[in-house]
Amino acid sequence: MTLLELMNFYVIPGLVLGSIYAVGAVGITLVFGILRFAHLAHGDLATFGAFAALAVVTASGISPWAALPIAMALCALIAIGIDKVFYDYLTDRPKIITVMASLGIALMLRAVIQVIWGVDTETYSRGLVRPENYWGLRLRDREIFTMLAMFAIVGVLWVFLQKTKWGKAMRAMSDNPDLALLSGVDNRRTTMLTWAIVGALCAASGFFLGLNTELKALMGWTMLLPMFAAAILGGVGRVEGAVLGGLVVGVAEELSVLVLPSEYKAAMAFVILLLILLVRPTGLLKGKLL
Amino acid sequence: MTNTSKTTPTLVMKDVRAGYGDADILHDINIKVARREIVSIIGPNGAGKSTAMKAVFGLLNVRGGSITVAGQDMTGWKPNKIVQNGVCYVPQVNNVFREMTVLENLEMGAFLRKGDFTAALDRVFSLFPDLRERRSAMAGSLSGGQRQMVAMGRALMLDPVLLLLDEPTAGLSPKYMEQIFEITRSVRDTDVSILLVEQHAKQALTFSDRAYVLAAGQNRHEGTGEGLLADREVAEMFLGG
Repeated sequence: MTLLELMNFYVIPGLVLGSIYAVGAVGITLVFGILRFAHLAHGDLATFGAFAALAVVTASGISPWAALPIAMALCALIAIGIDKVFYDYLTDRPKIITVMASLGIALMLRAVIQVIWGVDTETYSRGLVRPENYWGLRLRDREIFTMLAMFAIVGVLWVFLQKTKWGKAMRAMSDNPDLALLSGVDNRRTTMLTWAIVGALCAASGFFLGLNTELKALMGWTMLLPMFAAAILGGVGRVEGAVLGGLVVGVAEELSVLVLPSEYKAAMAFVILLLILLVRPTGLLKGKLL
Repeated sequence: MTNTSKTTPTLVMKDVRAGYGDADILHDINIKVARREIVSIIGPNGAGKSTAMKAVFGLLNVRGGSITVAGQDMTGWKPNKIVQNGVCYVPQVNNVFREMTVLENLEMGAFLRKGDFTAALDRVFSLFPDLRERRSAMAGSLSGGQRQMVAMGRALMLDPVLLLLDEPTAGLSPKYMEQIFEITRSVRDTDVSILLVEQHAKQALTFSDRAYVLAAGQNRHEGTGEGLLADREVAEMFLGG
């Protein structure tokens, strides 16, 4: 096998898949870092975002890319709503209760998706897209755009967290919640802001998965484990770590086919998760200990 | 903001009863801090020193008595409302944002300020010149003394009328301890009243204007720093003879 074949058949698909995981993992790491629980409804919220974009596309006939911002905004509102009705109510209880509640939310969201959009497999656009050839590297437009969009979205988030008042408030909550409260940081508004961002990120990751594969009711749920593996691999609470972790998990899953039967592809995330927890529980970029 | 006539004391705790859960730790505590005054609370372990301070900041249930700051009754207020009304609190531990820069820590202190905070920042930097130099360093990478400066600086960003310091010199070397006391005096001279809890009783009495000795959640002695230092009973009980 030549290097180009390795790139075309394994590394590039891995990076595309990894970009999708990365967008989701950034959301998971934000919830972990700021709100301090494992959000199990993350995948199904992503599914919801993907189908919301599909609904916009079928209703208005606009390009899927134009539907993405609408889906992100919708998912942001839904995430805020879920927090208001369920998670906020459980704030003062042990975190494990919120984790379990989020599992319930995951099942609820999935049921709603199945009721609205059915259980069939859908796509944003029909027909086969042939990859273009770039000096031997074979890439589809949607793959290039997925990777670029991932970096753009995470880049904007990064600048927001580093430079703006409310971005800093989110980092402060993640760093030292008691001191953030003593400084007068409004807990409730910071939490809502976090959910808005997390919801938008979920929609984006679901959309990218739907764009590069297909839409089905379980698409997000199956992404949950790799996304968690990516967040923990990168270091909990670390946005840049989640991107790195996502890319590593994506490429590792695709490369695993070289040595393992392809049915075990999904198990790679689990292997990575186990290894990192055993060897370096703070993750590659030294995040929080859980 | 609040009544700031020259004679109104900055803090009056009157017959305060408070505690965690159901048990009272403070039994009818009375503490007063006048304007431009450094008052320390000393006493043996478990006397309720830190608890008294936390009660002022609304961190635990006050079940009796009243807490008045600059003429404003704040009994039963939540910390975020108290902080908006001129009281800032520096906890003993975990008092900086470790993964944020010194400058960002100070900015978080100014979170509730509307608009420009350059004047407050300049004031903090002139009190703590070390911090100006290390403004881009992560707070977690600083020495204990510098970290305490960041913590105090953060609390001063809102121009409080009352600053609460919980054992500001715990774990610091004598050199830094002197420096923190020195800075505390300069802070007082910028028209801020200070209430602090101290483990190092002798040093605290030497540098405070007045002090309260608590024991078992009750007032035991009070007086000027020098007066208490000279008091035989206080000396025997808390200062190791």
